[in-house]
Amino acid sequence: MLASNAPLAHAAESGQVVVGTWGGDYGQLLSDLIDKPLLAPKGIEVLQDVANADPRKTKLLAERQSRRGSMDVACLSDSDHYLVEATDAFEAIDPAKISRLDKVFPELRTKTAIPHIYSAQVILYNVNQVKTPPTSWADLWDPKWRGRVGLADILYPNNTIMAALAAGGNMSNYDPGEKKLMELRSLDAKIYPSNEALAAALKSEEVWLTSMWLARGFMWKKAGIPLSHVVPKEGAVSIVFEASVPRNARNKDGGFAYLDAMLDPKAQAAFADKMGYVPTVSDAVLPEDIAKQVSLSEADRARLLKPDYKYHTERMQRTLDFWNKEFKG
Amino acid sequence: MALLVLPACLLVLGLLIGPMILMFRISLNHFSPTQLMIEAFSVDNYVRAAQDPYYQEIILTTLGMALLCTALTLVIAYPAAYWVGRLQSRWKSLVVIATLFPLLVGNVVRSAGWMALFTRDGLINTTLLKAHVISEPLALMYTPKAVVFGIVAVVLPYMILTISAVIESIPRDLEDAAANLGASAMRTFWRVILPLSAPGVAAGSILVFVLCMNTYATAVLLGGPRFKMMAPAIFDQFVRGNNWPMGAALAFMLLAVTMSFTIFGSIAFARRYRVR
Repeated sequence: MLASNAPLAHAAESGQVVVGTWGGDYGQLLSDLIDKPLLAPKGIEVLQDVANADPRKTKLLAERQSRRGSMDVACLSDSDHYLVEATDAFEAIDPAKISRLDKVFPELRTKTAIPHIYSAQVILYNVNQVKTPPTSWADLWDPKWRGRVGLADILYPNNTIMAALAAGGNMSNYDPGEKKLMELRSLDAKIYPSNEALAAALKSEEVWLTSMWLARGFMWKKAGIPLSHVVPKEGAVSIVFEASVPRNARNKDGGFAYLDAMLDPKAQAAFADKMGYVPTVSDAVLPEDIAKQVSLSEADRARLLKPDYKYHTERMQRTLDFWNKEFKG
Repeated sequence: MALLVLPACLLVLGLLIGPMILMFRISLNHFSPTQLMIEAFSVDNYVRAAQDPYYQEIILTTLGMALLCTALTLVIAYPAAYWVGRLQSRWKSLVVIATLFPLLVGNVVRSAGWMALFTRDGLINTTLLKAHVISEPLALMYTPKAVVFGIVAVVLPYMILTISAVIESIPRDLEDAAANLGASAMRTFWRVILPLSAPGVAAGSILVFVLCMNTYATAVLLGGPRFKMMAPAIFDQFVRGNNWPMGAALAFMLLAVTMSFTIFGSIAFARRYRVR
């Protein structure tokens, strides 16, 4: 009796994939573009474990010693992924299980994740209020923008990097950014608890300039906020949203099948159209008008800066403490 | 009979005491940005937190907010509790449900409602601007005032229901007797009702104080990024900084402060009313 039930139980388990992901548009698009059209026909049922990145990261770290984890796929940004990967929590990417891996841009490949979408940190400004657009991060410190620069609290690492770049630092040295942040504080920079709260402040013209992902700017422009963007001359920090299979996933094959589906060219193009993130595979073709808004020019791409993950991770406590205790304190 | 308390005891042991022991052990570890936690037996995290002016200020802010909100809640809740306690109507159960109603809405949803009122283009500013009462929108969001409003709204039902239950048990005859003997309504309140309802006031205040000390969602959503209370600061260490040892140490410091004030307050209150 037990023996005859066992394969059934196994089949049921292998048909379900739990994806740890963001909710909102991202989760909805995963569901519409990947879960239903690509995985449902293969008999894979997708369950989304919706949370922000921080709780998901914490869950992965807390569960990493457990034999059975709660996720089969974990979506994280590149910096968060580096931190969790360092604890040996993820399976290595197996090219045999991800047929589309050869289409991924080589510079975005990592050992334990597939890159899903990416964007860059740029300056967004209100076109009605800012007549002479800034050209550099340092321009945000111009006293004429006193009280008009808004920052998202949750992007504190990137706000620190922005200040570091403006002060002559680089991706392996954020220290000069601390003094620069204090100068921005004395220029009455506004801080908002979330990206959405910052968007509301940009909409009501409470603030006119911010540092934000180009993709977010694209979405906010679509939502009717009069914004434009500038790739600062010091450089724009890239962000890659990645997906991995945890070592203790209950359904690893299902997880890898999900990762493969995330690289589908049509799904990738649709993410660009809806959310403004750039595809990570060479065969995803964007309509010209979308490409113009979300992609970076050749010259801008040359100014793309990749995080120094080791330095970034090791400095994280100092970055957070400075942001909380000094800048916001 | 003792077996009757077994399920509750097991639940508390398993789901509260167990994790707390684990958390205490974590609080003695060291933090490493790459290895996250290094096994140790050290009180460094407690010493660092206690000596750090940043956390000293957060503890003081948390304590100040909790005491202020408890006092305000008590002042607002007492008349309502008296009315509910003395109400003799077939609608009484409906009134009690109405008092409980705010608790049916989660903290986050309730705070979202406050946000719709308080933002720069929210209802209050829009109305005042249209009525030409103000020329520039008022800064209502992300202020300690907004947090006080939010917290009091959350904890008010607990105070009302706790006090009204005690007032219900005070015989109305006592008020009549006091009036017969020539006591004014105010004197009756101070000398008869308040002392007799003291257990309800104490229980309600303790409950509300503990809830206020642990405020998270209201402080984050209405206080904004610059306003810090202990629960959001603990969250920051656990989740943003991945520094579990420091987060655990801060959690125990919050617990210690809350317990000390609760115990000290209860003893002081009991002494005060035993004397009378």
